[in-house]
Amino acid sequence: MTAVNLLLAVIICALAAYALLAGADFGAGVWDLLARGRRADRERRLIAHALGPVWEANHVWLIFVIVATFSGFPTAFGLIARGLELPLAFALAGIVLRGAAYVYRAYGEGAAGPDTLWSRVFAVASSVTPFMLGVSGAALATGKVTADSGPLAPFDSAFTIVSGVFAVIVTAFLAAVYLCHDAGTDADTEDLVPVFRRKALAAATLAGLVSLALLPLLYQDAPTVAHRFTERSIPFVVLAAACGFGSIAVIWKRRYVLARATAATAVIAVLLGWAAAQYPDLAVGAATARDSAAGAANLHALLIAMAFGMTVILPAFFLLLKVFSGPEAKPE
Amino acid sequence: MLGSTLTDARIQTGFSLAFHIVFAVFGVGLPWLLIVTEGRWLKTGDAVWLALTRKWARVMAVLFAIGAVSGTVLSFEFGLLWPAFMARYGGVLGLPFTLEAFAFFAEAIFIGLYLYGWKRLSPRAHWLTLWPIAISGTLSTLFIVTANAWMNVPTGIKEVNGKVVSAEPLAPLTGPGALPESLHMLLAAIMCTGGVVAAVYAVGMLRGRRDAYHRRGFRVGLVTVLAAAPVQLVVGDLAARVVEKYQPAKLAAMEALPHTRDHAPLTLGGIYDPDTGKTRFGIELPDGLSLLTGFRTDKTIRGLDILPAKEQPATPVVHLAFDTMVGAGMAILALAALLAVVALWRRRKGVRPLIPLAKPWLIAGALTGPAAMAAMLAGWEVTEAGRQPWIVYGRMTVREAATTSGGIAWSLVATVLVYLGLAAALVLILRRLATGAPPSSAAGSDGPPPQDPDEDGATEPRHTERPELEGAAR
Ligand code: HDD
Ligand code: HEM
Ligand code: HEM
Repeated sequence: MTAVNLLLAVIICALAAYALLAGADFGAGVWDLLARGRRADRERRLIAHALGPVWEANHVWLIFVIVATFSGFPTAFGLIARGLELPLAFALAGIVLRGAAYVYRAYGEGAAGPDTLWSRVFAVASSVTPFMLGVSGAALATGKVTADSGPLAPFDSAFTIVSGVFAVIVTAFLAAVYLCHDAGTDADTEDLVPVFRRKALAAATLAGLVSLALLPLLYQDAPTVAHRFTERSIPFVVLAAACGFGSIAVIWKRRYVLARATAATAVIAVLLGWAAAQYPDLAVGAATARDSAAGAANLHALLIAMAFGMTVILPAFFLLLKVFSGPEAKPE
Repeated sequence: MLGSTLTDARIQTGFSLAFHIVFAVFGVGLPWLLIVTEGRWLKTGDAVWLALTRKWARVMAVLFAIGAVSGTVLSFEFGLLWPAFMARYGGVLGLPFTLEAFAFFAEAIFIGLYLYGWKRLSPRAHWLTLWPIAISGTLSTLFIVTANAWMNVPTGIKEVNGKVVSAEPLAPLTGPGALPESLHMLLAAIMCTGGVVAAVYAVGMLRGRRDAYHRRGFRVGLVTVLAAAPVQLVVGDLAARVVEKYQPAKLAAMEALPHTRDHAPLTLGGIYDPDTGKTRFGIELPDGLSLLTGFRTDKTIRGLDILPAKEQPATPVVHLAFDTMVGAGMAILALAALLAVVALWRRRKGVRPLIPLAKPWLIAGALTGPAAMAAMLAGWEVTEAGRQPWIVYGRMTVREAATTSGGIAWSLVATVLVYLGLAAALVLILRRLATGAPPSSAAGSDGPPPQDPDEDGATEPRHTERPELEGAAR
């Protein structure tokens, strides 16, 4: 495997980690936005509590992806940043507002406006960001992002828009699955389990339907990638579909730990299916991985630094997840 | 809409970097202070140390999150605003930025453990989680500033026709500017944190809240900023020598020196007039600059005229910013010297506390916070504006680097509005945190406002009460 491919693999893994971890954090914000009825406040509290210790660490995966891309594929990064400036700017605004609103609500004691205000900002920003990131990812497949495409080019096809919607639904699905389990670990929140179970089932069904709509759009709006998709990605599609249906089945049976695994696998399979079909283009028709890569010596240094860094960071990450899972996970 | 795309991109970069750095410095400095206060609490069981720890942990939580989101903006902005810069040099700067990302990982992971782990970790393990936060915050500063130092003194690359053909991966970390610049920033972060902490408690005492909690908070902050000041002078001097050697035009702008000459004077303060080459209202010390840089009066110093007028940096701004920084640094240093003498004298006489708390001293202590912050921002203005018109010194101009997109004015307006809104809300929250009662060991963060731990009665051991304060994890 060449250094270029290895770095691509690292970036895809980091993207998967971001989708599974931070994705669920965004999805939780979507449920915050949609929370209605007399239990809404307690749902919001459960969500806030689940995010507390982990959202910042989860968020660093995105920074890692950005940094790895501009370090490893600098010319493509320049081009992609220019081509995707509008969706990325919106995603960025969403990231900033979500994080700020979260801490302002948690620590502000109302000093800077009512908690309900920051709650709203948090929820809306959490929903906008995955949409914009979904649009951005899909736009790279369409071939419409080029050195001199206009700012609206990423929004210029049904495929990218529906991909954005798909991203929001998937994050909501992940969040609901995770929250089923979280709610069940404490007697105080146990009554929320059925609420999130219903949400998880609804989101899974919706995700399935939207992905069916997405396939023809892929062939229509992103022909190059669609062609490679037929050649390479069928196994991933099968895996994603199996895990999608499997998730619905195990959620139905109230096996929430297993549901986490199937849901995560389904999301990873979708991501890999896209990545396989995208390869070797970073932005279809405008930048391939090899042509835009930094010098070999720099790539090697990056990979060595990453290998070293991951051996330190991954155990720490698992420690974090371990300390904050388990039965004493009680909102204070 | 506002200016040219280039101007807008510059304003947006400067604005968002300054915003980020003002909050990020606390992410670097506070963990070190917390190691001290929480460590003291573990050792003595003194509730005042715990109250300080708990208050600062909350402040750190808010500032860390704002630092994290505003830092994310920066990493996108480099691509959005300076795509040609990233396209050409992203690979060269890859190593420091990648190492930086890992430092962020470590910081964010352990800050989660620290802030939410009061209940789940043993007191000792909880204290230990501060170390990775502090160390990785420090490392992240060092890494990021080496990237900036490389932009100032780009070494170790070969370019043909504007394309990097080979780059030493380690060049940014080993360049001549890397060590002095990054150490200088690290000390600046520590000084800013210490100074602002001192300022908050000094103001509290000036308002009449002279309890042990305020006295001790003041002392920890003040000792931090004052102890770092002399080291900062030495490191700043090293940084200036690197500038003199590798960026002569920047040094000339810093010192407002229009013409290359020996017996160069040192000009303190004043407004430089680029048309006449004279500095109005400045104080001129004959031979001063030659002496400082070469230790002899006839050392030749290169002036602005080594470059044609349109390639010179914006001298009036750079000179003023430089003197602001050095002036503030010297003022803090003077306070440090004065207080050291007074403290020694009081120790000989057996007077306690060693640091006097009379009104003038409190006012002076309170001013170290704004002074350190002003010095830090002014220092960045020197570094960045003094490098103009280059983004990478001698290799790429900001004009070449800037985006050509038409929408930048909008993004500038949006950035400024969002940031001002967030900053205003943040100020309100921090003010509440600063003026709110100290979290006492008996009350949770959501509990009723506790009374001040009074005078020094608070020195009795409180370890036995730990279970009660566990409700206050945050
Ligand atoms: C608390 C903050 C603070 C204080 C008291 C000082 N500085 Fe500073 N200075 C900074 C904070 C700072 C900074 C913001 O951190 C900079 C900007 C870039 C950098 O690495 O550090 C800086 C840059 C900077 C540079 C430009 C480096 C470059 O462009 O490569 C020089 C020459 C000095 N400083 C010199 C000094 C001297 C001689 C000081 C005497 C007391 C001093 N600084 C005090
Ligand atoms: C790796 C680190 C950094 C990079 C890549 C970087 C890059 C840039 C760029 C591209 C500009 C626009 C050029 C211009 O001035 O016209 C700029 C300006 C500026 N930056 Fe930096 N910067 C870095 C670190 C910092 C930091 C940490 C600060 C702290 C606040 C800072 C403060 C500023 C300011 C105040 C300006 C505006 C200066 C002016 O135009 O007058 N920079 N920087
Ligand atoms: C010398 C100047 C800088 C210092 C001292 C600094 C320091 C820090 C620190 C300590 C954090 C952690 C958050 C916090 O504690 O508040 C942080 C966050 C961040 N900074 Fe900066 N930074 C500097 C400049 C930059 C620049 C130029 C970039 C551009 C790439 C950048 C990118 C980031 C990012 C992406 C984060 C978010 C990381 C997280 O989630 O923890 N920083 N910075």
